[in-house]
Amino acid sequence: MKITAFTQLITVLAVTAWVFLLPVPVVATILVLELALLLYIKHDRLTMAAIGALTVFTGMMILLQLLFGSPLRVSLAGGLRMFVMTTAFLCLLAATKIQDIAQALVEKFHLPCEYAFMLTTALRFVPDFLTDSATTLDAQSCRGYSNRGNIFKRLYSYLAVVKPLVMRAVAKSDTLALSMELKGFGANTYQNMCPQKLGIVDYVVLLIVIVLSTYPLWSKYL
Amino acid sequence: MIEAKAVNFAYHRGEPVINDISCKVENGEFVALLGHNGSGKTTLSRLFMALLHPRSGEVLVDGVNIENLEPADLAHQVGYVFQNPDLQILEDTVFAEVAYGPRCKKKSETAVKEQVDAALEAMGLSDLADAYPRTLSFGQKRRLGVAAALALSPQTLILDEITNGQDEQEKNNMMAYLERLNQEKGITIILITHDMNIAREYARRAIVLQNGDLVFDGTTADLYDGKRELSEWGLSQPIIATLSARFSVEGQTAAEFCEKLHLKEGAIG
Repeated sequence: MKITAFTQLITVLAVTAWVFLLPVPVVATILVLELALLLYIKHDRLTMAAIGALTVFTGMMILLQLLFGSPLRVSLAGGLRMFVMTTAFLCLLAATKIQDIAQALVEKFHLPCEYAFMLTTALRFVPDFLTDSATTLDAQSCRGYSNRGNIFKRLYSYLAVVKPLVMRAVAKSDTLALSMELKGFGANTYQNMCPQKLGIVDYVVLLIVIVLSTYPLWSKYL
Repeated sequence: MIEAKAVNFAYHRGEPVINDISCKVENGEFVALLGHNGSGKTTLSRLFMALLHPRSGEVLVDGVNIENLEPADLAHQVGYVFQNPDLQILEDTVFAEVAYGPRCKKKSETAVKEQVDAALEAMGLSDLADAYPRTLSFGQKRRLGVAAALALSPQTLILDEITNGQDEQEKNNMMAYLERLNQEKGITIILITHDMNIAREYARRAIVLQNGDLVFDGTTADLYDGKRELSEWGLSQPIIATLSARFSVEGQTAAEFCEKLHLKEGAIG
């Protein structure tokens, strides 16, 4: 029993709203559930790296907020909210094919197919980009590039890696655009695919989403 | 001189990729590193260049263990040319592109010019010194990659699938330049290739890997003598070896074979 991309998108959007609507302990509980779900779906090195990077980024965000004079409680809550929102997207990407997300965006949310394609292409480019950047880094290292020295020197010398990558990305996007045109990419691209029908699980999940999303309305009657 | 001593390596997933390999490449050799896809050729060559470090064992370059070195530290001893030249093109002229390495090493501009001119000359790119590198043909870009490595005057060049995707003429051009570098300048060449014809025609020694194991280390003449079942290692006999066996003619190169059978030059290969 699989939840459709539409339901997953709605849930992610709802989680984004919940982090602002629900009390902090509930948001923290959602985080625990999200992490458990994410590690259940995928527990490879890449997932662990993503969680690690997100933790570092959250830590930096909290630190910056503290530096600019926010109280500790507010800074921690802000960091937690950001972490929960991003983890929801990580769960979505781990559980669903990008093609299905694009189809749901076009079919159910009536997003123009160009924008849906733009989103999926951007997501697809990430692993390619990481592979290319590793290869470029190796190639330049073999020619004498070294990431040593102070931060400014390192940033400047890193141009040797960034420039070929940008040129490569431009060339790739040009080829991609041409091949899409040749394959007849257009308004019918996503409509020709098998429609995603909602099942019982989808309705149950959507019901939970509605109940939790209307928490501020019914909580006062409890 | 590059030496691997009982080298073992595995990537993060834990599957061993290189199993207890020991081999030594002396200065001035022309070695073909052969094997099927995933046999560990590229991994072994990356270990030679300190792009990877062994889990156990040692890699020595000119007798020095490179365990704590980075590729940039070795660039003046070992040059590594990658498959895709587009991923390293950085500058706006061929000259500046080749000069990147010597400039990283803080050489004087006079020394840079000397080294770049020599590298461009060696790879037949002198006329294109002012050209925009991205407009070069694929074969020229590959030669530019070799020139960029050569500009640091390394004793050894490691070339990863350097002839892939090139037409016959470009392939022969590239190999002729490499042969000249090896014979005239004594540069050690380690050629990673799937092209058995090239391995037979140009390399004097072959190292064959299969699933991370070294299964053959000897002369190319021995490898292609018809006594081995190369398909077991994922390799095939070069066309010249097959024809030589079929017609009972001994010939290491296509030219020799044509001469012995009184064929028109260039009829084969």
